[in-house]
Amino acid sequence: MAFNSTVETLPAMGRFSLRCKRENTVAMSKALGFELPSSISETAQSGDMTALKLGPDEWMLTCPMEARSEIEKSLAAIYPDAVHSLTDISSREVSIRISGPEAEELLSTSCPRNLAELKSGRGVRTIFDSVQVILTREEQNQFRLDVWRSFVPHVMGLLTVAVAEFECGL
Amino acid sequence: MLLIHCPYCKEKLPELEFEYAGQAHIARPENPAEQTDAEWRDYLFIRSNVRGDHAEQWRHSHGCGRYFNALRNTVSDKFIATYEIGQACPTSHAEGEENNEQLES
Amino acid sequence: MNNWRVDGKGRINRDKRVRFTFDGVSYQGYEGDTVASALLANGVHLMGRSFKYHRPRGPVTAGSEEPNALIGTSRSGAGRFEPNTRATVQELYEGLTTVSQNKWPSLNFDVGAVNDKLHKLFAAGFYYKTFMWPKSFWDKVYEPVIRASAGLGVSPTEPDADTYASRYLHTELLIVGAGPAGLAAALTAARNGTDVVLVDENRELGGSLLSEAPSAIDGKNTESWLAAVIAELEACDNVRIMTRATAIGYYHENMVGVAEKLTDHMENPPANAPRERMWRIRAQEVILAQGALERPLVFDGNDRPGVMMAGAAQTYLNRYGVKVGNAAVVVTSHDSAWYAAFDLADAGVKIPAIVDVRTTVNDYLQSEAQKRGISAKVGHSVTSVSGTKRVSGVKVGRISGDQHVTDIISIPCDAVLMSGGWTPSLHLFSHTKGSLHWDEENEVYLPGERTERCHIAGGGRGLWSQQAAFDDGVHAAQQALISLGQNAPGLSVDVDGDRAGSGIVMEELPSNDDKLAGRAFVDFQNDVTAKDIRLAVREGMLSIEHVKRFTTNGMATDQGKMSNMNGLKIAANELGRPTPKVGLTTFRPPYTPTTFGTFAGYHKDELFEVTRKTNIDGWAEENGAVFEPVSLWRRAWYYPKAGEDMHAAVARECRETRASVGMFDASTLGKIEVVGPDAAEFMNRMYTNPWTKLASGRCRYGLLLGEDGFIRDDGVIGRISEDRFHVTTTTGGAARVLTMMEHFLQTEWPDLDVWLTSTTEQWSTIALNGPNARKVLEPFVKGTDLSAEAFPHMALRECTVGSFEARLFRVSFTGELGFEVNVPSEHGRALWEMLYQEGKKYDICVYGTETMHVLRAEKGFIIVGQDTDGTVTPADAGLTWAIGKKKPDFVGKRSLTRPDMLLPKRKQLVGLLTEDPSVVLEEGAQIVETGDTAIPAKMLGHVTSSYWSEVLGRSIAMALIEGGFERNGTSIDIPMPGQTHRATVSGTVFYDPDGDRIKM
Repeated sequence: MAFNSTVETLPAMGRFSLRCKRENTVAMSKALGFELPSSISETAQSGDMTALKLGPDEWMLTCPMEARSEIEKSLAAIYPDAVHSLTDISSREVSIRISGPEAEELLSTSCPRNLAELKSGRGVRTIFDSVQVILTREEQNQFRLDVWRSFVPHVMGLLTVAVAEFECGL
Repeated sequence: MLLIHCPYCKEKLPELEFEYAGQAHIARPENPAEQTDAEWRDYLFIRSNVRGDHAEQWRHSHGCGRYFNALRNTVSDKFIATYEIGQACPTSHAEGEENNEQLES
Repeated sequence: MNNWRVDGKGRINRDKRVRFTFDGVSYQGYEGDTVASALLANGVHLMGRSFKYHRPRGPVTAGSEEPNALIGTSRSGAGRFEPNTRATVQELYEGLTTVSQNKWPSLNFDVGAVNDKLHKLFAAGFYYKTFMWPKSFWDKVYEPVIRASAGLGVSPTEPDADTYASRYLHTELLIVGAGPAGLAAALTAARNGTDVVLVDENRELGGSLLSEAPSAIDGKNTESWLAAVIAELEACDNVRIMTRATAIGYYHENMVGVAEKLTDHMENPPANAPRERMWRIRAQEVILAQGALERPLVFDGNDRPGVMMAGAAQTYLNRYGVKVGNAAVVVTSHDSAWYAAFDLADAGVKIPAIVDVRTTVNDYLQSEAQKRGISAKVGHSVTSVSGTKRVSGVKVGRISGDQHVTDIISIPCDAVLMSGGWTPSLHLFSHTKGSLHWDEENEVYLPGERTERCHIAGGGRGLWSQQAAFDDGVHAAQQALISLGQNAPGLSVDVDGDRAGSGIVMEELPSNDDKLAGRAFVDFQNDVTAKDIRLAVREGMLSIEHVKRFTTNGMATDQGKMSNMNGLKIAANELGRPTPKVGLTTFRPPYTPTTFGTFAGYHKDELFEVTRKTNIDGWAEENGAVFEPVSLWRRAWYYPKAGEDMHAAVARECRETRASVGMFDASTLGKIEVVGPDAAEFMNRMYTNPWTKLASGRCRYGLLLGEDGFIRDDGVIGRISEDRFHVTTTTGGAARVLTMMEHFLQTEWPDLDVWLTSTTEQWSTIALNGPNARKVLEPFVKGTDLSAEAFPHMALRECTVGSFEARLFRVSFTGELGFEVNVPSEHGRALWEMLYQEGKKYDICVYGTETMHVLRAEKGFIIVGQDTDGTVTPADAGLTWAIGKKKPDFVGKRSLTRPDMLLPKRKQLVGLLTEDPSVVLEEGAQIVETGDTAIPAKMLGHVTSSYWSEVLGRSIAMALIEGGFERNGTSIDIPMPGQTHRATVSGTVFYDPDGDRIKM
C-alpha cells in the first residue's frame, strides 16, 4: 500500500482578522465586493480573495500579499459608518498543505475532530496535538493548516513522523 | 474525553477545544464602588459547590472563541444543556434523570 | 524435544519453526506460539518466582489475565528490554530472548525462597506492622531491602528506543472482542452497511472458538466457518478489523482507548514502524463482547507449577497443540472443566480423576467421563498438592456433611486443572460508572444501569454457551443499530454440539486444615492467601476496600482479574455477610498493563512538548547562545564568548550595553491589537492607568490587575491611532491576558464596540538599548526623525525600517536610551542581521534574557511573576503612580480598599543591599529580623530578584518584606546554610535614579 500524500509549507499570503457586529456585515460585504459567509466554517470566494467565518463576528480574509492595501483602503473608507476591526495577521501564521488520498487519516494522528464531518470548502479553528490551528478542507483530499509561526516546527515535526509511519505500512 | 455542544458553532465537539471558565450567572456589580466589603467579597470569592446540576461558563477557546453557559451534572459529568451568554439558565432535570440523558438525545 | 505437542491440534504453523531463548537456554517453537505455549511444549512449566515468597510459579492462564508467567523480553539494540511481559501474550519470533524474573541466583535455586519458609512472619499487613520504627530506618534500611527482595522485573536502565504512535478514529459502532458474540454482532452490522470497528487483543479473531470448537457451526467445521466469516468481514469497506488491539479504557461519550501492538511479534519490523499505537476511538454505539474469565479454586498448593485453569489447558491444547501434562487431575465447581477434561482425554492425556466439589453433577457429564474411563469424584475436594517446581500429585477426599474431608487418597499427576466458574469481564463497563447488580442465582455481578451508549453481549452477561453468545451478539447489534436509527434484520448462527453448563461459587475448598494455616492462594502475583484475607477481616477490615489495601489482594498487575471474586467470597464468608454487602473494588483503566510509550505517543525527544522559536532563534543558535525555556518558548539566555562562564558573559553583556549599545530579541513579548471606537474605554476598564488622554503616537506603561486587586500583568501599550492600541504583555502572560480581556468583553461588556486580536506572532521585536542605540538604528529609518525632540521617550511611529513596514517604539526596559522595532515576523532575522552589522561600528553587544533581567533590576523594574506572586497589589509593589486616580472603576479597583489590602504590615517590594557587596543572595531566600536565631524564626519575606550588578560593582536584590517600606535604611538577616547574610533595606532603583540616561 503505497503512500501518496504530500506535506508542504506554502508561500506567504495576505491574511486579515476581520471582526464586526452582525448589523455591519452587509456594509463589509459591499466594501469587499462579495458576500461574507454567514455560518461558522463556511467560506466565500471572490477572485483571489477568500473569507472564512471562524466565529459569530469573526472572519479570516486571505488574499495575495500585494492585494492587502486595497482591502485596508476599502474597509477604512466605511469605518465611520460601519465600525469593525481589521488587523493584518499575514505574518502571524504559516500555512501547511496536506494533500493526497491519506490526507484525512494523516491529520487524524493529532486532530481529535471527526474530519469526515468537515466538508470540502469548509474550515474551522480547532486543535492539532496541543496547537491551535485553522483547518480548512480545500478539496476532498486536500487540507490546509494555518499555524502560528512559532508552532510550525512542532506541527511539521509531528506530520513528518506521521508520514514516516504511514510509509512503513503498519 | 467529553463532547461539548457549542451553542454558537451548533456542533458537538471534543473537550480539547474548550476550557472551563468558572461558575455562571455571577454578574459583575454595576457599580463596584458602592459595594460593601462583604458584598464585594461574595462577588469575588463565594461560589457554590454543587453535587448535581451546576451552571458554569465554558469557552470554545480553540474554536469560535466564544464564552457560553452550560448546565453540567457534577456527579455524572454529563452536559444537560449549553446556551449563549445572556440567556437564562434552563430548568434542571429532576434528580436521577441525568444517567439516561445521553441515551435519549 | 517437542514431545508435548499433539499432532493434528492447534493453529500454529508447523511449517515455520522458531528458535528463542529463555534464561539462556535455546528452545524451539512454531509461528503462532506464545512464549508460554512454546515453553510448555518443551516441558517447561517453571517460568518465574512470586513477589513475596519467591515461590516457583508457572502459567496459570493462557491469556492477558496471567498473574504468574511474567518474563523479561529483549529485542536487539539498547533500550529494548521490557520487564513484566506476560509470557502468555508475547508471541514467538525468531531470535526472541527472554529471561525469568525475581530470582537470585537462578530460577531453579533462588535464595529469596527462604521467605516462603518464613511465611508466618509475612502475614497480611506485615509491612504496616513491622516497619513502623525507628523512623530513621525507613529510607535507609527498610525501603531498600523491601524494594530489593520483593518485586517483579527490573526496570530498564536505558531510555526506550522505540517510537509510538496515536490516532483518532470515529465510527458508528465499536465492537470490543471478537469471540462468538463479537463476531455475530459484527456480521449483523456489517451486512447492514454500518461503519464498524472490531477490536480484539489476540493475534487472530475467534475468541473462545479458538480454544473450544463446537462440532459444527452453520453446518461447517469451526475452522472453515471462522475463515469464511473473517473473509466476509475483511471484504467489507465499512468494517475495520484490529487485532493485537486491547481496549484499555472506556472514557466519556463513548471514547474507547485501544492500545494496538504493531511490532512486538516481528523479528524484523519495518523501518520507522512504531511499536504500538494508541487509538482514541469515538463510537456512536459500543458493544462490549469481552466474554468471561475463569476463576481459580482456592486450595493448599494451588499455585504450584502445573496447576492451571482448566480453560487454559484447553486453550493450550486446541489453539497451540500443546498438552500441559501427561496426567492431569481436574478439580472444579463448574461444568466447563469437565469438557476441558474430555478434550484433553481425547487428545491422549490421562485424566486420573475429575474432582467436583458439588454434591451432584448432571448425568450426561458423568456418562461422558465414564465413556473415557475417567474417575468422576463428585462431592470431593483437593486438600493439598505435592511437588515444588512442578506438581507431582494431589490429595483428594470425600466432603463429609460437616465440610470435613474423609477417605483421603493420593493421586499422582503432573498437572492439575482447576475451574471455579466464570466471572463476566465487565472492566470496561465499570470504567463508565455503569452499575453492576448481583445475580443471586449464579453468584456473579452482571451489568446494570448504563451511563453510555453501550451494550454488553455474551459472556459479559453471564451467558455461558456459544449458541447463547452468538444469539446475544446478534441481539446487541440490533439494539445498537436501532439506537443509530438503522433497522437491521437479524441473522442466526446455528451451533452443533454446544456445551452449555453451570456451576457454583466456592470460598476455599473444604480441607481438614485450620483455615488460617494453609497456603491456598487467592492473588497469585501478590502472594495473598485465603488466610491473609481471613486475618484481615479478624483484624477489623470490614469492607472489601479495606481488605484490599491491607492484604494487597487485587492490586497486582492483573488488577484482580484472578483474585477479586475469590477474595470477596472469602471475606464475606469470614464476615458472615452476603457477598454483595461486602462491596466491590473499582476497576480502573488500563484493562491490561500498558507501556508508558503508548500513552506518550509521538511526544518524545524534540516533540516531547511544543518548543516555540522566534524568527531570530536560528541566528542565536548559530552564534553560540545558551537557551532557557520561558513558558513554551526557548529564549537566548546569554551569549558566552570563548572562555566565558555565565557570570562573565552576563557581566560583559551588561557592561557593553550600558557603555555603548546592546541588542535583544524581544519577539516573545505578548502583543494584542485592541481595535474599535470603544478601544480607549475598554482599556480604561481593564488597566489601572488612564488611556483617554493618551495621544496617538504615544505609549504608556500599563498595569493589569485581577478583580481581586492583585497584579496580573504589565507591559507598554501604544496608541497607534484613535481607535487602535498596540498592547504588549509579558511573554508568559500573553495567552492569559487575552483570555481575561475576552472574558470581560464577552460576558460583562458585550455592548462595547471593540475587538481583540493576538498579534504576538505578527511581529518580530528587536530591542536596541544603550547610548549608541539611536546611531545604530538611524541609518535604516526612513522618513522619521529619531532625535530626542522629535521622537522622545515613550513615543511610537509607524514607519519603514530597512525595507520593512515597522512599528517603532521608543521605550526602555534597561534605563538606557532604548528602541523597540517591530517588523513582520518573517523579516525579524534579516533586520537583526542588518542592525548587528551596523552595530559593529559601536561594538554592539548581543544580550540574552539574563542580562535583560539584571539591567531592569538595576532600575527597579519588576518582572510580574518573579517580583510578584499573585498576592501583590500596586501599592505593595510601589506602583500606585500607575493608577488613574480619577477613574471611577477598573478591574480590581474595588478590591484595593478591602480591609486586608490596607494593612500596614503587608509585604512590600523593597531593595536589598548586602553588607558584603560581593555576596549575591539566593532568589527565594527567606528573610528574618536581625539576630533572630530562633528555630523556627519568623519569616518576614523573601528575596525575589538578586544579581551581580556590573555597573555598580556590587550585588543588588529585591525582596518582598513585611512592612518593607517602613524598614528603609534598617537591616535584616538572610540565614543561609553555614552563614547568615546581613543586608540593608533600600529603594528599588539602584542605578541612575533621576532617569537621565533614557532622555538622551
